[in-house]
Amino acid sequence: MGKIKIKLFVVSLVAAMMTFISTSTLAYYSTVGKATNVVTSGNIRFVIHETTDQGKEFPKEGVYIVPGDIVSKKVSIESDCEHPFYLRVKMVYGIDSQELSSEECFKLNIDEEHWVLHDGWYYYTDIVDPGETTPDVFSHVEIVGSKVDNSHLGKTLTLTVKAQAVQSENNPISDGNVYTASGWPKEAEK
Amino acid sequence: MKKLFTVLVACFLLLLSALPVYAAGGKVTYSGNAGNFVFEPGSEHSLTDLFPNFKGVMPGDSLTQKITVKNDADNKVKVKIYMRSLGAHEDSMEFLSQMGLTVQHSDDNTMAYMFDAAANETAQLTDWVCLGTLYSGGEVNLDVTLNVPTSLDNEYQSKIGYLDWEFRIEEFPAEPGDPEPPQTGDNFRMGLWLTLLISSLATFLILLVWRKKDREKQENAVYH
Repeated sequence: MGKIKIKLFVVSLVAAMMTFISTSTLAYYSTVGKATNVVTSGNIRFVIHETTDQGKEFPKEGVYIVPGDIVSKKVSIESDCEHPFYLRVKMVYGIDSQELSSEECFKLNIDEEHWVLHDGWYYYTDIVDPGETTPDVFSHVEIVGSKVDNSHLGKTLTLTVKAQAVQSENNPISDGNVYTASGWPKEAEK
Repeated sequence: MKKLFTVLVACFLLLLSALPVYAAGGKVTYSGNAGNFVFEPGSEHSLTDLFPNFKGVMPGDSLTQKITVKNDADNKVKVKIYMRSLGAHEDSMEFLSQMGLTVQHSDDNTMAYMFDAAANETAQLTDWVCLGTLYSGGEVNLDVTLNVPTSLDNEYQSKIGYLDWEFRIEEFPAEPGDPEPPQTGDNFRMGLWLTLLISSLATFLILLVWRKKDREKQENAVYH
């Protein structure tokens, strides 16, 4: 009888302890969750369009010219990003692989209302907003007859349009002069 | 006709202005019973992304992201909520190290920053930091500010940086002296009442069928 009492006591004690432990556990639920946060940076992208008067793409292989020709070539730049930017373009002239100055062979009808020359670059006077296309930088190229002579026969004259852009957000300019914006690539990177 | 059109337009504009404007905010919700946290809104890069405002950042940007941490557990518990930073993923270290990040309680901006360091670091959030004890329905708001230097180089265009944060809760039973949570939402338990209604109807139908069968048996017994 005594043994049974002891067994009962032990069983009761264990049950009481287990109740206490389980109650304690229930009082302190704990859980952990992980959030993976993401920061992405924006970009500045644009596309240079070169078309003819008929709206067709300017032929990549070029066109045959003779002195005095006026070639239809319209150049504009379209924004391809979600951020506004300032823009500048530069025309580089060449004959075969040799660089020329503009006065030698070409004459362009630059739209000087929207593009202002400063230090060899034409700066677009406004901000290019996302998705926007600029007015044409020029629409015709004249092959200057007095500068192109027999020595140019069979040679390849090239006109390359270079463009650079810099964000306009958080980038104030002085007196409306786009060239005063910060961040233009250095001359060596042109 | 023109007058009517003007009135309609005015009404439409008035209606538009009355609509609430929702700012893009991050949200961390604890649902109770040691369940999972829910992180919102997420993004195409991570389902648990709390930074919707920090996308497409540009040099010179200083952007703020509000994050609400909420205890949505039932009324019988209160929770202590902690957070810590695990830092940037290995491949995001260099990109995120270029920018600064601060975290503070938005309810009382007078307190010192809980975190003020380069975005890739764990700094003051290396160890668990208690955000507070929240009763059911309670929430705490954090202001997270990202500062992108104007000197951020071109090479960091179109980059993605991943930053891990952990949240932990400890759940305690509510005590008699604890403040009563505000009455929010509709407590009508539609599911419970619907279940009761359907089971009652089913029981009633079964009883009807039994009674009918009993009657038929009795009638058959009489005829035979």
